[in-house]
Amino acid sequence: MLNALYSIGMTDPMITSAVITIVLCVIAIAAGRRLEMIPTGLQNVVELAVGKLHSFFTDIMGEYACRKYFPIVGTLFIYILVCNYSGLLPLAGELKGFKPPTSDVNFPLALALVVFVALQVIGIRESHGLRYYKHFFKPVAFIFPLMIIEELVRPVSLTFRLYGNISGEEAVVAAFNDIFPVGLAVIMQFLSVLMGLIQALVFSLLAAIYIAEAAEHEEEHLPVHEG
Amino acid sequence: MTTGLVALAAALAIGIASIGAGIGQGIAAGKALEGMAKQPEVAGNLRTNMILALAFMESLTIYGLVVAFILVAKM
Repeated sequence: MLNALYSIGMTDPMITSAVITIVLCVIAIAAGRRLEMIPTGLQNVVELAVGKLHSFFTDIMGEYACRKYFPIVGTLFIYILVCNYSGLLPLAGELKGFKPPTSDVNFPLALALVVFVALQVIGIRESHGLRYYKHFFKPVAFIFPLMIIEELVRPVSLTFRLYGNISGEEAVVAAFNDIFPVGLAVIMQFLSVLMGLIQALVFSLLAAIYIAEAAEHEEEHLPVHEG
Repeated sequence: MTTGLVALAAALAIGIASIGAGIGQGIAAGKALEGMAKQPEVAGNLRTNMILALAFMESLTIYGLVVAFILVAKM
């Protein structure tokens, strides 16, 4: 079956991320199938996690943007977290078809492009049309090229931040393992537990801030100073 | 000869890039901790903002890492 997947051009990180997607979907469906007012078991756990995430993002994005766009940032956080932690499982990278997706540059790139497209869609929808792009010319018109570069650099830096951290950390673990097989690599693995959480947090935090900025209402913009 | 130079360049790219980010992150984290110690009631807010600031500084190191990767791939 693996060979069939390889023959249509799937790579190890793609297979792993597809499996993670399916697992998360199954958990979500199992938790949400019979909702009860007084949650028990799995529903209780998932509700606690989502509730905590929701209150965290409400602090950052504000009430309005969070209510509307929590699903995208919350999903990003949970997905990236599980993908990062998949690299900590035994045999990750050794077994065929099992490689942590975030250590491949294409996976963070895909997520960053999703965020980039979502930003344009949200910006256009919230300000009712192409008026959204007027903010490129504020506060003065000639900084337009700088604003364009700033907008385009966002997906690039999101991509390389996630990819660089996770793959760099894995390279360090591998190097430590070569130098000193017992001990050092284990200590580094503790650090990678922390790192996986922080990188997932940073990615979704930045996405949340960008989205909150794009969803800002026209009236709330600072007054224009020409000249 | 050229291979050796490229290897040196890759090492310098990531090495020098991490010096600046290390100093900056140290200052930012130190100040944030100072603020948390003085006003524990805003610790949560400070922590979020600190992580965000650290992420921006870190991205500069990551650019250095990317350059190092590109150089190593050229070797």
